[in-house]
Formats: sequence, structure tokens, C-alpha cells
Amino acid sequence: MTPVPTEGLTFSQDGTTATLQMTNVPIIDQPRWPAMDAETTPAFMDFKLVFKATSEPVKYEDPLRQFRFEGFKANAQLEATFRVPSIDFTFKTDPLDTSKCDFAVMGTEVNGKYYEPPKS
Amino acid sequence: MRFTLDPNPTKDTLVDQHHNQRSSHLDRRHLLKLGVASVLATALPGRPLRAESAPESCAPPIPKNHGVSNGGSCPYPIPWLDKNGNHNQSPAPNVDLSNIFHFKGKLARCNGFHGMGTDNKGNRFAWGNPTTDYSYMAGEYWAAREAHQGIFTHT
Repeated sequence: MTPVPTEGLTFSQDGTTATLQMTNVPIIDQPRWPAMDAETTPAFMDFKLVFKATSEPVKYEDPLRQFRFEGFKANAQLEATFRVPSIDFTFKTDPLDTSKCDFAVMGTEVNGKYYEPPKS
Repeated sequence: MRFTLDPNPTKDTLVDQHHNQRSSHLDRRHLLKLGVASVLATALPGRPLRAESAPESCAPPIPKNHGVSNGGSCPYPIPWLDKNGNHNQSPAPNVDLSNIFHFKGKLARCNGFHGMGTDNKGNRFAWGNPTTDYSYMAGEYWAAREAHQGIFTHT
């Protein structure tokens, strides 16, 4: 998990589109993961991720695990550049609108101490 | 996140499940694979397009003069994932999509990206796999016995 500066996450006025954009995010290149002795190499990532909510609502809730997510199914698209300086490797994805994903949702969540189970 | 470059886009690539509990299969003969995972680094912030000073570390402060200690301000992990050494699970319906426990706020999550790209030698590759997984969590979380505001991403 990486902290995001305030400017890194923006929403459209109607709240249905979210854009997450960051540069020089420190990551690791670990080709042999999940081997226990898998070596790592420092790498960096720039990316732009756009979520667009659909009109299909979703609600996931588990009182035993104390969480509730309410929102909408979404479409998400990503463009990114990955750099592994030590091996002089760079990979750049095609533009944002050429990507697609299998699962995306956006909404709000409450969990843990903020969660109140539904009154039966 | 696992980010897999596949020189043969027509081939199914079953890849490892980063930070979740499913089985994995790695086919190294057919993959040119750049596996990248986010550094678990609340102390190693990414930089925005418009530069901003780095957030302070969330490590627990060392009390002076026998003062009280309420722990650090790092977000608390999801307990039943953390006990197995995981920090998140693959997003799907009816699973907790957050990486943070004691959280309320905006959240979005996605996985299973597919696309194409080019390396610095001009080679074209398909990218993405079931665990190419991104999220944001923006809101309030509880740590060190007080509420904090923050925005985080899992990449």
C-alpha cells in the first residue's frame, strides 16, 4: 500500500469517474515470486488509472468480518510505464483506452470500528 | 500486483496470486515476465505529478520522559488476512475490498487487466493477468487511538 498525495486522486463533479495518477512510485521487480528466496530489483512505475461507475449497484457486507461496501460496478482502464533502471528495461503500455479489466467496483466502505451491523 | 508480459498474447498465462490464497502456476518457458509488486512502503511515498513534500513516517514514535505510547499512525491491516501474512485478497464480490481495517471512506478496486505495450527495444507484449490489481482508499482510518485522514493505493 502506498500513500497517495491529495492531487493524485481526483473525481468528476458527479462523482462517477475517479482518476488515480502517480509518477515514480517505488516498486520491486521480482520475477521469481513467490519463491521464498526470490530476489528483488528496485523499479519505478508511472500510471494513470481511471474508474467509471456504471448504474449497476453492488453491496457486499459481512457482519462477522465487520465490513460493508456499497457502490456500483465500474469500468477501469490503466496506462503505465515501468522502469527497471539496473537492467535498463522500460515497458510502456498502450494508451489508456486500449486496456480493459475483468472486475471493477467503486463506492464507499466502512469496516472495523466504523462498522455497525444492520438492525434486524 | 503481478504484472506479466506475455510475448505470446494468445497463450493463457496462469500466474501467481500475489497476496491472496489461491494456488499458483508459473510457466517461465513461455513468459517474459516482469513481476512487480508494490513496496510495502508507507514511508516510501510515490510522487505526484505536481510535486508535494513527502508524508511523515507512520512508525511508532519513541516516547520521551516515560510518556505514553499509542502506536504508530500506519493503517491497521485486515486482521484475518494479516494473520496469514497477506495484506489483501483478490477482489471479487462479497470479499472485503479494503486493505485497511477501521476505515470509512471512498474505495475502488479492480483487477484482471488486459492490454498491450512496448518495451524499450521495440518489442510488443501483452500485459496483465488476474492479479494485476489496483485500488484506492480515501477517507478516515483509526490508528494510534485517533482518527486520521489519508489516501492510499494498492498497486
